[in-house]
Amino acid sequence: MEGKVRELLDIPANDFDVVVRIAREEDIAVARQMAKQLAQELGFSLADVTKVATAVSELARNIYRYAQTGKIMIRKRLEENGGPTIEVVAVDHGPGIEDVDLVLTKGYTTYERSLGIGLSGIRRLMDSFEIASEVGTGTVVRVEKRRRRF
Amino acid sequence: MDNNRLEMLVEELGASEQERKLWRKLLREAVSGAGGNELRQALREPLCDLLQELGEVNLGAKLKFVIERIPTFPTAELLPLILELCGELRHHSEQTVCELEHMLSELGAPIIRVWTDVLLVPLIGGFDSDRAQALVERLLERASTTRAKVVVVDVTGVSTIDTAVGGFLIEMFSAVKLLGAEVILTGIKPEIAHTLVKLGIDFRMVAIARDLEDALRQAIALLEEERKQRRQIAWAQGSNFSGEGEEHHDT
Amino acid sequence: MTHKERVVPTIRVGDCLLVPIQIDLDDKTVEQLQAQLLAEIQEQRVRAVILDVRMVEVIDSYISYTLSETAAMARLMGCRTVICGIRPPVALTLAQMGIELQGFLVARDLEHALTLV
Repeated sequence: MEGKVRELLDIPANDFDVVVRIAREEDIAVARQMAKQLAQELGFSLADVTKVATAVSELARNIYRYAQTGKIMIRKRLEENGGPTIEVVAVDHGPGIEDVDLVLTKGYTTYERSLGIGLSGIRRLMDSFEIASEVGTGTVVRVEKRRRRF
Repeated sequence: MDNNRLEMLVEELGASEQERKLWRKLLREAVSGAGGNELRQALREPLCDLLQELGEVNLGAKLKFVIERIPTFPTAELLPLILELCGELRHHSEQTVCELEHMLSELGAPIIRVWTDVLLVPLIGGFDSDRAQALVERLLERASTTRAKVVVVDVTGVSTIDTAVGGFLIEMFSAVKLLGAEVILTGIKPEIAHTLVKLGIDFRMVAIARDLEDALRQAIALLEEERKQRRQIAWAQGSNFSGEGEEHHDT
Repeated sequence: MTHKERVVPTIRVGDCLLVPIQIDLDDKTVEQLQAQLLAEIQEQRVRAVILDVRMVEVIDSYISYTLSETAAMARLMGCRTVICGIRPPVALTLAQMGIELQGFLVARDLEHALTLV
């Protein structure tokens, strides 16, 4: 588990098409906009573009709320078995999550002004979802969505 | 290599006039003495035609024969070209399959306007997740552009509803309702009702109808109700307007 | 209420407040919108608020939560809230995340919204 967090925290940023640093509230909208653009470039349906943008919005807000700073990295992957895919990695060196399974249950939140649907909502919107977190080290969330066959 | 020998080889290779023509073209280009890109370009078309005419296995056997007979045959140039062509053909057939699947998904779930502002979605067969997503996107787009007031979902043609399909239906219903339309669900067979309750899915957010007739009747009742409300508002606004002009009243 | 605090223009129709949201909502603007609407409900003494979100391309959990919160606050002030014009992709995203727009009546368009209030 700890090895996985370190490994994911060290994903080189220059492999990605876009890296958005999250430090201010406005950066959430920037990350959302970039995700939307890349999904559009991959030919995603309008609904899927919206889903990706919404998921990135949630990821960016989680960083801003819980870790204050971090980054959202997005890349397009064309040569995939399942078809063109968008990959988003959200990285922060914040306080980390004690019980990952608990925050994934719908309705859970430690932040009083949020619906607590954040992480479980992201998981429902995307095709794959991976999270690694360590208290005191940080949190990494990696999600993917592939272009639908039709 | 002279024309006569080439012609003899062509006769041996080609089973039909069409095929002989293609072989003639290919062999002439192959022994023309050209090289590199130019040769590849020239070989490309006849090779592609032969591949489609004969298929990979037959073409392979005949090419082996050609290579044995013509020592100067540009095998090295031919090999990557053939691989490339096979790839293209495979890609092409994959695309066709994809298009067929697309067609099937549309055939599998038509969206029918059965009444003014009422859409009917008869669901048929099983659902994989891509097909389901495509359907719900199509339905929402249609409901939004036609400003449908009621969407009737008929699941008579659905054999089983498990948690995945149930979850998908709940998503679909919630999304339709977020557009401001009502949903009426119909066609649930006894065995499906049984599994749904066992799974804890109650579809409480939608109206349920016994059959399509009942669904249509409920839909029309909903339309009537809205029309009545609208008339009331028009009436209230009318009296409002005369009220506003009080100071200017003649009587 | 000063002009500076207004994030969206509002139109009064009868005793309803029409709020066409023409900007993409983010965390800050949705909070400002909440404050603006509560102030206007009080000032203008309206019976209902109609939010038209036709132009909004992304509604995530925080935005929907803040909007639901606004609807609950409006209710306590004796005012109904209707939301209309949700885009199909937004509707699908909300449904898939399992978000309900609590406290709202949902309408297709303005005409429908007026029949609900």
